[in-house]
Amino acid sequence: MSVFTDDIIGFKSVLRLAYNFLNGNSYLKRQKFKERKKLISVALPFSDLIFASDAVPVFPIRMEKFNIHPYLTALDTAKNLLGWNWTTKLLTIARKFDFLEILDNVLDDVIYTINDKYNELYDLAIDNGIPSDFCYGITGLTGMFISKAKNLDANINFTIRCSAWNKYSETLQDYVPRQIWVDIPPRNLDNSVELLADNVSKAISDLEDVTGNFVTDNSLKKQFRIGNQIKRFYKTILFELSNSDFYPCNPATFAEILALLGISFQDYNSNAQRYLENFSDLVKESRERIDKERGMDVSDMPRILVTPVFGGWEPQVHEILYDLGARTIYADWEILNLLEEIDVSKNSDPIRSYAEFLFKPTTYGIGYNQEALTDSYIETAKELQVDGIVFNQVFGCHSISNCYSRLRKKIRRKLEIPTTVINFNKIGENVEQVKTRLGAFMEMFHL
Amino acid sequence: MNSLELLSEFETFLQKKKDTGKKIIAFLGHDNIPIELLEAADFFPLRMIFAGDDQLMNSSNTYLPPSTCSFAQSCIGYFTLTPRTHKFLEYVDYFLLSNHCVSDICVSEIISDVADLKRLDFYVPYYRNENASKYYKIELTNLKNEIEKLTRERIPDYKIRDSIIKQNDFKKVVKDISNLKIKGYEKLKLYQKAMLFGPNVQPELERIVEKHRDHNEINLKEYKNLLLTGCSIFIDDFLIDLIDESGGNIVHFDTWIGHQYYSQIFSQETLEKIQDPYKLLIKRFETNVYGDHCISHSLENQINSIINYINQFKKENPNMEDVAVLNHIIKFCDHFSLFQSTFKQKLQEKGVKVLNLERDYSRAMRGQLRTRIEAFMEMI
Ligand code: SF4
Ligand code: SF4
Repeated sequence: MSVFTDDIIGFKSVLRLAYNFLNGNSYLKRQKFKERKKLISVALPFSDLIFASDAVPVFPIRMEKFNIHPYLTALDTAKNLLGWNWTTKLLTIARKFDFLEILDNVLDDVIYTINDKYNELYDLAIDNGIPSDFCYGITGLTGMFISKAKNLDANINFTIRCSAWNKYSETLQDYVPRQIWVDIPPRNLDNSVELLADNVSKAISDLEDVTGNFVTDNSLKKQFRIGNQIKRFYKTILFELSNSDFYPCNPATFAEILALLGISFQDYNSNAQRYLENFSDLVKESRERIDKERGMDVSDMPRILVTPVFGGWEPQVHEILYDLGARTIYADWEILNLLEEIDVSKNSDPIRSYAEFLFKPTTYGIGYNQEALTDSYIETAKELQVDGIVFNQVFGCHSISNCYSRLRKKIRRKLEIPTTVINFNKIGENVEQVKTRLGAFMEMFHL
Repeated sequence: MNSLELLSEFETFLQKKKDTGKKIIAFLGHDNIPIELLEAADFFPLRMIFAGDDQLMNSSNTYLPPSTCSFAQSCIGYFTLTPRTHKFLEYVDYFLLSNHCVSDICVSEIISDVADLKRLDFYVPYYRNENASKYYKIELTNLKNEIEKLTRERIPDYKIRDSIIKQNDFKKVVKDISNLKIKGYEKLKLYQKAMLFGPNVQPELERIVEKHRDHNEINLKEYKNLLLTGCSIFIDDFLIDLIDESGGNIVHFDTWIGHQYYSQIFSQETLEKIQDPYKLLIKRFETNVYGDHCISHSLENQINSIINYINQFKKENPNMEDVAVLNHIIKFCDHFSLFQSTFKQKLQEKGVKVLNLERDYSRAMRGQLRTRIEAFMEMI
């Protein structure tokens, strides 16, 4: 399907994000062998401490070699010759010369490339004896470690209430002997924040040990500042841009951008400063396009929150919803309270601030129980002012996916917006059923 | 005693407790729960250690997706299915939520909602180190405060300590059971009874221990000797019958109902040295290295414990076949399912024969389970 062509031009920020994501393999090689940096794997958006220790965080799929769309490679070459700004100009010229066929489906292709790789790694894990009962996310991640863990110097784990996650984290020492743990207490009771701060300190010492670098308050604060700015931009995209009546691109492309942000947010594409610049450009470019009325009037399209997707989802969902006249919003990190800022004020203690930050997702986001988690869904849905919720029930997820019945009741009571559930096991496995479900769901908006 | 008799006896027992004004607090049957604190508050702690069936599992489908472990599903069924499979569950006053695994959290929330039971929460740290112990203390204090708010009565430290001593003595008796030369099948029934009734059945169990202490009532050579690990076998589960009927005998229950329970005994010296009951409870959390809740070395500890047992058995029974390992995995169990192939591989590397037996509680599985167990028995 080619719905994205026109939207790509001018979105150099998105292209850069996509390129940086896919080009991880060679970027990381350079970091490891030329810059002599340590590579430390991370999953879930917890890369700040790694950056602060001047190591390179890696969401492990990025060590893979991807088939990069020739167009993106061409872009990179153009960038190297002319810089990214020139690239846009180049594209505009290219467009005049009917380069459109080459431009076709670039972002679409990026998402599919990533997901194909996910499926490949999922299969690798299954072939290596991981039972197919576990969520797609954990299984895929295990495949990533089976495939490329040898390149890593360490791995950092954060405990959460998902027992499958904690146990999976324990298995990682078979792939990466150097494990760094940040044990987050289950609840923020009494002086738990101090205990957590101490656990963070210990993890920092471990990072210092691995990297040979000193982590100072300044380096922590500097990183948190960057992270905070990224989060601010992320929120702008979710709350301002996704909520406007005019989109800088068509809604399916917009959803793909959100999907790409969701995946890449976990390690900031291994370069926080560059990621921040991309984010900032993305917001700027989007606003400019909206001002110039380049994009699409979406005022009559209901906004559908599709969640949770971080543990795996069918990427055709946003295209199906687009065909059915809706726009898709992916906002997992907001729901899970991972877009909260870290206090960097003058007299703040960065370690304690980080501990306070870590308690937010575990208290209000994923929460310490289903009550807290479903409250977070309701809050976010309200704030995002979405018109409907599609709950993605991931097979084998016992933490998040099984809160649907509770969530549905709450939505009825507190939001009164349509909701439905779709099932997900593996990409591409259940598309027809998803189509039928979403078709029936969208009927509710046309009554 | 079969399960039906056990359950009916428990029904009468609980009714009597209720009549004396005891409050019943139920929770999913796993470890790390400070039952002594509950007892000191004059609660009767009721462990949900009942196996399930299709009906019980199905009745949880309104609340949870079918990809939930069948034990957790069945626990919901016990409270939602009418008429209740176990009538005594009507006596339950409170439900204790804990986070042994995430299903424990979800199920406890659901049960307390649908059965309209006041819920108390007790979270156990995921890790085991100094800070985790400090956190465990915070949870203990929080639970104590919550209970006191509820009952409007203070829980005196001496009562907790008394209960710790009482439970500790009881565990010693359970440990004695583990040393009896009786069939694994019989041992399991005694363990299950012990877990259900607690020290209330101590005299009875002592009599049994006395009766069998110096008798060798089983010729181990006649059986395929097994070590059971992974998920516990709960009351009324047909699995133990299948093992028995296939000529198997479990010589060691390396599960929570079994070794992990009686391995948490305090020595007399510790009891004398540590007077503060909270410190004792924390110590127990710290030394509960065989439990499956805490990371990051649970698999390693489990394997070490198994190897130790097998070596000990070899030493004591030099002319016998080695003990084989039956890893019981309730399908979708977060704690044991993920590790299963690594677990098997690691033990096989040490020359141990392992069967990963994954199952749910459906009757339809019975035939398949029997075939797999029989095939394993032939192999060993
Ligand atoms: S919360 Fe669910 S999706 Fe996330 S890791 Fe745990 S099981 Fe997987
Ligand atoms: S998932 Fe495992 S640990 Fe959790 S309730 Fe089920 S059997 Fe117990």
